[in-house]
Formats: sequence, C-alpha cells, structure tokens
Amino acid sequence: MTSPNASPNPHVLGQSSIFNPQVINDIHTKAELGRYRMRGFSMFKPIPHWDQLMFMPGTLTRFVIEGYREKCDTKTVLGARFAQKPLELDIPVYITGMSFGALSLEAKMALAKGASMAGTATCSGEGGMIPPERDLSTKWYYQVIQSRYGFNPHHLMLADAIEFFIGQGCKVGLGGHLMGQKVTEQVAEMRSLPAGIDQRSPARHPDWLGPDDLSLKIQEVREATDYQVPIQLKLGAARVYDDVRMAAKCGPDIIYLDGAEGGTGAGPHLATEETGIPLMAAIPEARRALEDVGLADEIDLVVAGGIRNGGDIAKCIALGAKAVAIGHSSLMALNCNKELPGITDYEGTLGVKAGSCYHCHTGRCPVGITTQDPELRKRLDVEQGAERVYNFLHTLTLEVQMLARACGKTDVHSLEPEDLCALTTEAAAMARVPLAGTNYVPGVTEERTLHEIKTLLEKHVANDGGGSRDV
Amino acid sequence: MVAMSTRRSRNDIRGLAEPDVEAPKTARIEGDTAVFDAADLSPRQINLELRRLVYGEQIPEVTIENPGAKHSVAVGILTRCRITIDGSVGYFGATLGDGPEIHITGRVGWSVAENMMSGVTVIDKNAGSLTGAAMRGGDLVIRGHVGARTGIDQKGGTIIVGGNAGALTGFMMQRGRQIICGDAGPGMGDSMYDGAIYVGGAVASLGVDCVEAEMTPEDDELIDRKFRIYGMDRPASFRKFVCGKKLWNYDNLEPSERKLVL
Ligand SMILES: Cc1cc2nc3c(=O)[nH]c(=O)nc-3n(C[C@H](O)[C@H](O)[C@H](O)COP(=O)(O)O)c2cc1C
Ligand code: SF4
Repeated sequence: MTSPNASPNPHVLGQSSIFNPQVINDIHTKAELGRYRMRGFSMFKPIPHWDQLMFMPGTLTRFVIEGYREKCDTKTVLGARFAQKPLELDIPVYITGMSFGALSLEAKMALAKGASMAGTATCSGEGGMIPPERDLSTKWYYQVIQSRYGFNPHHLMLADAIEFFIGQGCKVGLGGHLMGQKVTEQVAEMRSLPAGIDQRSPARHPDWLGPDDLSLKIQEVREATDYQVPIQLKLGAARVYDDVRMAAKCGPDIIYLDGAEGGTGAGPHLATEETGIPLMAAIPEARRALEDVGLADEIDLVVAGGIRNGGDIAKCIALGAKAVAIGHSSLMALNCNKELPGITDYEGTLGVKAGSCYHCHTGRCPVGITTQDPELRKRLDVEQGAERVYNFLHTLTLEVQMLARACGKTDVHSLEPEDLCALTTEAAAMARVPLAGTNYVPGVTEERTLHEIKTLLEKHVANDGGGSRDV
Repeated sequence: MVAMSTRRSRNDIRGLAEPDVEAPKTARIEGDTAVFDAADLSPRQINLELRRLVYGEQIPEVTIENPGAKHSVAVGILTRCRITIDGSVGYFGATLGDGPEIHITGRVGWSVAENMMSGVTVIDKNAGSLTGAAMRGGDLVIRGHVGARTGIDQKGGTIIVGGNAGALTGFMMQRGRQIICGDAGPGMGDSMYDGAIYVGGAVASLGVDCVEAEMTPEDDELIDRKFRIYGMDRPASFRKFVCGKKLWNYDNLEPSERKLVL
C-alpha cells in the first residue's frame, strides 16, 4: 500500500511519463491539423551537453597565465588552405547564417554592425544578400544554399568567404522553411517566389548530387571567385566521421559542423528533436576523420549548435574547433525572449511566457527579430541592438580568454582535450575525455586494454612457437 | 603578403585546386577578336586567359579552341561579350554569368549555364542533366537533347530544347519558361511553384502539382519569336503546363501561425 500522504487524492495511481499531458495535447493538435507541427528555436529534449564537461586548469602541474596582465591571443584565421585572402577574425566567434526573411532587416543590420564592432563575421543565410547587411559587415560569408534563392554572382564576388550549405544540425537532411506569414512581397521577390506561400526549400542542391560533383562545384565557384576567398562546407552533424572524410576530399578550406542542438527560424518540431548528434560527440569524430585523411592541419573546423557562453566556446576549441558560430544566443542579445514592459505581451500574443518562446516561425516575434511585420520591426532599434551584440561577443571572448589563461594558454587556440574532464560516462564517451577523477575514457580505455592483451598474446604465442603443447 | 605567410601546405586529394596559376597569355589578338587554344590548358588557365581578354584587354569576341570537355570553363563572366567555345565542355560550363553570349559548338556536361543571370548560351549538340539549374534570366538554347531535371529551381529566363528532355524536367521550377520541342520524361514539372513548360512532343507523365493549361496567343507569339531568333524549326503545336498551386500552402494552420493583425 502506498502512503495516503504522497498524493492529494489517495486513490490516484499516478501518470504516464510516456504519454504525459504535453504528448497528449500534441496528439490532439495533430489529429486536428493533419500535418507535422512547425516551430522555431532550439532542441527541447535534454541531450548530453557542454554542462557535462569541466575544465581542469593549472595548479602545480601547469603554469597559469595572469588574467588582465598577460596576453591571451584570440585572433582566428580561417581558410588559409587555398584562398588568397583567408578570413581573419579578431575573435574565435562569429554570427552564423540566418536568412533575411527568417530575420527582419533590423535584426540582420544589428547583427552585422555588432559583429563588425567585435571584429568578426556574419553570414547571409538563405535568402540572398541585402545590401545594408553587406555594408555593415566588415567580414561577410555568402551562402550557396540548395534553393539558391536570390543567388547572384555579383554578390558572390563581394563575399569574404563562401559557405555551401549541405545541412544544419537542427534538421539534418531537410531544406529550409519559411511560413507564408513571413513571405512578404519583398521576401518573395528576392526569392523569385509567389508571395504568401509556405516556402519549403529543396533539401538537395540543384546542380550537384554527390561528393564527386561537389568537388567540381567547388572548383566552379573557386574559378568564378578567382581563388580569392575560402570555401566552407556546412554539414549537419550525423555520420560525422564518414561525412567529414568525404567533405574533406571534396577540397574545401573549412568545414562547419552544426550539432543537433542547433537552432532554426522554422522547422518541423519532430526534426529538431530527432535528427543529428550532439556537437560534443561530433567534434572529436571530425578531428579523427581529418587526421585519418591527413588534412587535420589544412582544413579548419568551425562548429555551432546550442552555444550559450564562453565556457561552451572554450570547450569546442579544446576539442578541436578553430572557431564557433552562434545563432540563437546572438538573437537573445537582441532581446529574444525578453519581456519589454509596456511593449511586449508574450502570453497575450503567443500564449507563452517570455523565456519559453519558440515562435520564430509564426512571424509574430514580439521583439521584432524574426518578423517581417512593420509594426513589430519597430521594436528593434538597430543601434542599441548592435551595441548589445557587440557586448555579448566581447563578453564571450573574455570568458574564453579567462578559461584559456587558467589552463595556462597564451592563445585560446592552444586549448586542448587534456584540459577537459567529463561529469558523466556518456559525456566522457562522446567527447573522448576522461571521467572526472579517473583515467577512464569509455571506449578508448577498453580499446587500449584490448590492444595490450592482443600484443601480450601475440608475444606469448611467438615465445611458445605456435602454442601447441601437450597437457 | 600577410595571406601568403599564413598559408599552409596544399594537398588537394582530387587535384582540382589550382591556386597559384597565371594567365598563359597565348591568345592571338586581331583587332576586336581573340582566339586561343585550350588543348594544353587547365580550367584555371583557360578562365584566367578568358578574363584577361574580356576584362583586361576589353576584347568583345573570344574563341576558345580545343576545350577538351574540361569542367568549369567560362564561369562567372559578368560583362557583355561574345564567347565561342569550339568543341565540348564538361560540368558547370558557362555558369554564373551575367551578360555574355556564349556559343558552344559541341556537347556539355551537367549543370550548364547554372544560375545564369542574363545573356545567351547556345549549345549545338546535347546537354547532360541539371541543364540551366537555378537559372535566373537570359536564353539557354540546346539544339540537341537534354538529360534529367532540366531547369531545376529555375527562377527566370527561357530554356529551349530542340530534342527530348529527361525525367523531372522543371523540378521545383519557380519562374521562367521552358520550351521542349521533343518528348519530356516522367515527373515533368514536379513541385513547380510557377512558370510555364511548353512541350511539342509527348509527356511521359506529370509530376506532383503540375497541370495542363490553355495555350494563349501570347504563348504562341513568344514561342514563334524565340524560334525566329535562334533559327529553329517549330513543331506544329505545343501544350502548356503550369503549377496547380495545391502545394503553395500547408492545408491547415495552428492558431499562432495565422496572420497577425496588429
Ligand atoms: C532564425 C534563424 C534562421 C536561420 N537561417 C538559416 C539559414 O538561412 N541558413 C543556414 O544555413 N542556417 C540557418 N539557421 C541555422 C544557423 O545557421 C545555425 O546552424 C544554428 O542557428 C546554430 O545553432 P544555435 O542557434 O543554437 O547557435 C538559422 C537559424 C535561426 C535561429
Ligand atoms: S522572441 Fe522572437 S526570436 Fe525569440 S523565440 Fe520568440 S519569436 Fe523567436
């Protein structure tokens, strides 16, 4: 018998953790809609994340670097492999590709200005170039995406780097989405589409299919841009080891890996929850792949997905990333999910409290970021937004430097896996760093032990001259 | 100089990257025209020579001999000029252009005239798949047959095919026109958003959300005009296919997804 005190009603047995109220509501909604549900934002379900890794800074075994007084370099050069002009960033963080269409003009401009103030880059995203963004960005990626919406060779020539979108972590294997509410006349015209349609972009590129053709596509774009700027391939993290090996053989300068935690402006909820692998698992796989094809020193690795603070960035770098791109956290610097007294009413307009908003896909963003509505857009001031983006990027850099100095590094890029330990066996296995307080790296330790046993056995057999012995 | 000092080793597994090459300067220039032999040139050398001529020397008419089916030839030319390629080219021929008139006397591989903005590209023989992918403007004329997915993601301009077209012609086409004189393969016009496909021969099958529409006198006038320009024989009649507009929007929206009225 259970204690009658445990529940307000002693006759209630309990409730299903599988069919919880949210799941039941979801089924009710789908039964009415007859289609998958869309949303923006990040992953909802908990997965192994950066919180499960810790730094092991210098004590007596390692020499620490004096904060505030001794230098800790943050300069980040990307794509020096074949490009005449590699991308030189002052900090190891930049603003990822988020399309004009998904974002408002003001958001694109504020991100561009804030990034330039911090000495770093932005990226066009899917919908083509908007001149104010290009003007305000001192370093600018132009995206070659499946849909080629608004793709223009004149704009290609203005790029400081070119990113081929092959996939994104949040919805690996799917193309972009933009709901009809956001496909205004202007957005539609830029994309050569009818206004107001629910735009579901292609998942495959129109002019190449597999890695062999991709190699030629890269050659084409290099020819068109005269080998001036780096070529980056953006992959959603899934079968990372094999995908990165293949990507590397296609000849890029940079590979960008987007973890399953990555955000979106609009995507099927199910895809955001159920596709891809965590970034923490992806980075070591990518490093292993690059080392195995002998290109670890040539191709730079950029990573993204669920990055919140300098700790996350430092961990990415320690595992082998050269730079980190941020999406939704930069939108938070622009006020995403913040109640502005007297201006916003999250609950009244979207039915959720500020802090729980994921409604970017609706075009009704209360703070003017992911909307095309002229009234909502007025709520985002470009100058103030840019200042906050700059402050955030600057803070991220200070945080990375702080951790790097504590680990004894005079350059943030010197952070290494040896600086990390894991709090759970899962994180240890994925990130391939030891479980805290032990030497145990799941998978790696066992492999090493097996190898030792094999070597011992081989020696034993050799000493025994074949091992046949009368008993 | 800074860039040079940060550069690392160059180990391109596929052997396609050619970063440190200079224009061979082998063209014979006579007045307003130039000719060069591409037999011993790499794609990079061909493009550097071509660019030197049309941009540097301002020569409006260039002929490339012996292109040898090389890939990525005559890409990214953003000025008005006339280029004759005397032979066949490989993948990504005459792509990313805005303005040039390009005449290829042989065959072409995949993705010819990809993302062309304006100008004219004429191919005398057959073209591979993905012909005119994501094309945005101008005329692309293939006198022979074309492979699959011609005009995939096409955003503007006109593609004219003298022969037959393969499967999924006009897949996800957004705007513009395709005029196919011969037969079209299965799945034609699949998921097209807009635009029109005219077919003179038989259509194996239509793709999702592609429907037949009435030919109008304007349609016939356009086709006549294009055929006159390129000196092509016009089939007696054409059928016209357009988007059924059934896939434009999700059938149903959640309350928060409906259009906001402030
Ligand atoms: C509003 C929004 C729009 C996006 N648009 C694009 C896009 O146009 N192209 C693209 O490659 N990725 C796009 N993404 C994905 C981001 O580039 C990136 O992969 C992801 O946001 C990284 O995860 P994070 O948001 O957790 O930092 C978008 C993301 C957001 C939040
Ligand atoms: S506040 Fe705006 S940007 Fe943030 S989740 Fe909501 S709709 Fe998206």
